Amino acid sequence: MESSLSAVSLAKFTDTLFAVATLSYLIAMVLYISYLAFRKKKAIGVAASTVTYIGILLQTTAILLRWKVSYMMDIGRVPLSNLYESLVFFTWSTVLIYLIVEYKYKTRAFGAFVMPVAFLALAFINVAGINADITPLVPALKSNWLFYHVLVSFLGYAAFAVAFAISMIFLIIDTEDRGPLTNFYSAAGVLVILVPLGYYLAGLGEKVKVAYWMGLGVLILAWFIYLIVGGAKNKSQVYLFWSLCVTLAAGLLLFMGVDYLIFQSLHSGESFKQQIFKSTFINSSAPVVVICWLAVLAMFGFVWSQGLRLKVALKQYIPSLDELDNVTYRMIAIGWPLLTAGIISGAVWANSAWGTYWSWDPKETWSLITWFVYAIYLHARYVRGWKGSQMAVISAAGFLAVIFTYLGVNLVLSGLHSYGGMQ
Amino acid sequence: MENQKGLVEIVAEKVWKFFSSVKLAVVLLIILAIVSIIGTVVQQGQPTEQYLKEYSLATVNVLETLGLFDMYHTPWFVLLLFFLTANLAVCTLERFPKTLQIVKAPLKPLEDEMLKALPFKKEITFKGGMDKAEARASKVLKSRRYRFLVSGGPGVQHLYTQKGLYSRFGVYITHLSIILIFAGAIIGSFFGFKAFLNLPEGEVSKVVYLRNEPLWDKIMASLGVGDSRVVMDPQGGVPSMPLGFFVRCDNFDVDYYSGAAGPTGMPSEYHSTLSVFDLQGRPILQKRIRVNDPLTFHGITFYQSSYGPLPGVRGKIILNIRPKSAPSSGETVVIDPGTEKFVSSINRTIRPVGIAPFAFRDPSTGEVMFRHTENNEMINPAVELEVYKGTKMLYKTTVLKVDQGQPVMPEDYVITYGGYWGARYTGLQVAKDPGVWVVYIGFILLCVGPVIAFFGSHKKLWVRIQDKKGHALITVAGSSNRNRLGFEREFSKIAEELAK
Repeated sequence: MESSLSAVSLAKFTDTLFAVATLSYLIAMVLYISYLAFRKKKAIGVAASTVTYIGILLQTTAILLRWKVSYMMDIGRVPLSNLYESLVFFTWSTVLIYLIVEYKYKTRAFGAFVMPVAFLALAFINVAGINADITPLVPALKSNWLFYHVLVSFLGYAAFAVAFAISMIFLIIDTEDRGPLTNFYSAAGVLVILVPLGYYLAGLGEKVKVAYWMGLGVLILAWFIYLIVGGAKNKSQVYLFWSLCVTLAAGLLLFMGVDYLIFQSLHSGESFKQQIFKSTFINSSAPVVVICWLAVLAMFGFVWSQGLRLKVALKQYIPSLDELDNVTYRMIAIGWPLLTAGIISGAVWANSAWGTYWSWDPKETWSLITWFVYAIYLHARYVRGWKGSQMAVISAAGFLAVIFTYLGVNLVLSGLHSYGGMQ
Repeated sequence: MENQKGLVEIVAEKVWKFFSSVKLAVVLLIILAIVSIIGTVVQQGQPTEQYLKEYSLATVNVLETLGLFDMYHTPWFVLLLFFLTANLAVCTLERFPKTLQIVKAPLKPLEDEMLKALPFKKEITFKGGMDKAEARASKVLKSRRYRFLVSGGPGVQHLYTQKGLYSRFGVYITHLSIILIFAGAIIGSFFGFKAFLNLPEGEVSKVVYLRNEPLWDKIMASLGVGDSRVVMDPQGGVPSMPLGFFVRCDNFDVDYYSGAAGPTGMPSEYHSTLSVFDLQGRPILQKRIRVNDPLTFHGITFYQSSYGPLPGVRGKIILNIRPKSAPSSGETVVIDPGTEKFVSSINRTIRPVGIAPFAFRDPSTGEVMFRHTENNEMINPAVELEVYKGTKMLYKTTVLKVDQGQPVMPEDYVITYGGYWGARYTGLQVAKDPGVWVVYIGFILLCVGPVIAFFGSHKKLWVRIQDKKGHALITVAGSSNRNRLGFEREFSKIAEELAK
């Protein structure tokens, strides 16, 4: 009894550490952004780095303590075993890789892009109501491979996340002007048509809804291919692409937060699971839904209209486009072998557990798709001599595949990895 | 004939050229990435009834024709994978000799016409004699761990070096590894099989039931060249594969995580004790397998995969009986539920009235409470016992597998729960894959290859020192096949150090 009591108090302490670490990342994010805004105030930059170092130190301690707590609870498992822990580890590796880049390339300019990813991922854990309990492992997961598999996979994901952030910087720096306003209106117009259409079709039944999503997927894919194969020459299209990516990355998490707060204020105490976006985008009241989508449009408009200011703020810290391209490449050259090792360790593990090293389940297949996309990146770079904005678009496409492999498959598709779901 | 041969040659050349293009590799990767998505959206390998629930009959027919219900094994998908492998192989054959030439070519001292082709070059006037300049250059190169060659003539001195020559092989190691993995997968599907076996406790089998028949057997049988080892079920059931030995499930057990009130329903581990016998019935080996720790015999591996009850089968109750005074000695008794058994060591007759699958004892009241379980899963079994002296019942008691309290034991012996045997089966996945070692070698190379390719680079560096009226003119030049920006930085530092 005594040991379980101290396990409880240690677990509470661990939670506090996690909370303080999250707070540090929030402060670091604000500091890095102010560092960009107040042009080269060195003190702000040093403060930003210091807070980040403190944050990662606290988070490392918390992860190690969580490991210890699991042993005190007689469960004894690596703290990399469910969605909560993998998200925590993902942020940890992203911050770690960012700090290495900051140290190696002696620039703090990327912090304003990377730290929001880290902070928002941690915020997502709280917002989405993901179960943080240390639960026992099912027998299939009790293997030393679990540790290596998750470790290398997430280090790889983190490298891709940093590559994505730098690609976004590349695209905005590469933009000369944002193109005519009609461009924005037509993009907004497409949204205005597609979104109500989606709601209308979703009302017609599950099959129509699936067909709609698949159609949307094909459209997005076609756009990707158009941008990449067309050499990303249509700069105002690329700028639209950039605006949508930034809106999506920042907006998704922002809206989840708003959604969570509204939900809590209306139904305090109830479980948030399976309720996501019910207070906003899939609310039963039509005006609420319309207001939410108008907010998304407004955000898209804001990003689109302010992007060039960001460029001006960023430009003085960025050594050169070549350097950005090079750092993206280095990150993918680190991430791809890690992803490869992650897939391989998963395959070897599956073979020792089930006698099949590859069974084409959705998680495996999506990790392979991600692998293909980054393989395209690496080959296109060497052989076709593609450079610059095309490569940045491929890198963004790769990160989209990473996000889907990591979250989408668990939340949307079913398969062997379904233990990693929200519940 | 002459003409025709020419045509074959032309076609062969065209095919070779088609497969040697890296453009093809990129196109194939894009196609593979896109079509792979389909199989993650359409559920794979479900029975037709399941699909009919989800789609209309017409849709099912279309999807079925395209092979989208087992997409990753359809000929067109396998062909795409084969094209990628062929592409890799041809690219490798095409480029490897050139790389070998580069690697074998001896490094030559710097000459003026080479300078034009070199991406990085700088001229430095060194204030000091040639000897001093050479000493400086040799120091700079040594400090950066370059092992260099020296040659010279009157008024000119050369230092030249290269590093990371073998990083040029990284890409070939990577490509070879993928070819190996593909080859291993083919070997596996030709000569291996995937099967399952649900084996009740105490029972023996000499066959397993196939999920995938070895392709080789299938082809040989359909060509009429040889017999397939596969035994078809006359009733149209699952075909089976003879093992060439017997396998027996001696025992099966599940451990559960324990909570504050005893075992929770969540399995922490399950294991089967399997014995292997040859066809004459001689025992060969025994192993206790669990999830992630299988048994392999004659290339066939048995994986612990699932378990379940045998409906309508009653197992045997196992009880351990020992004197209170000697906790280590005792007797094990096996009894059918509901029947009596005389135990000589305590001179009593025991009758287990029944067994419940999931029970708790309240430690304060001593009362036993029963819980419902799915499929009668034996989470924490309780056995209700009657103890007789002759025909006179002395007392009733209940023993539990994990007991939070104390069962009634008025006499000088203790009865404890030993097990419930023979009413469950162990679910085994069975696989034979002779190609797995080829795949694993591919895996190892695939881990090593990209690291060599991405983190090494073939760097060349030349330093030429010419006499110029007592001063030295240093020409430094270099090239790198990868990470040019990194090399550029290194190069400018070297130039800086030389100029000091």
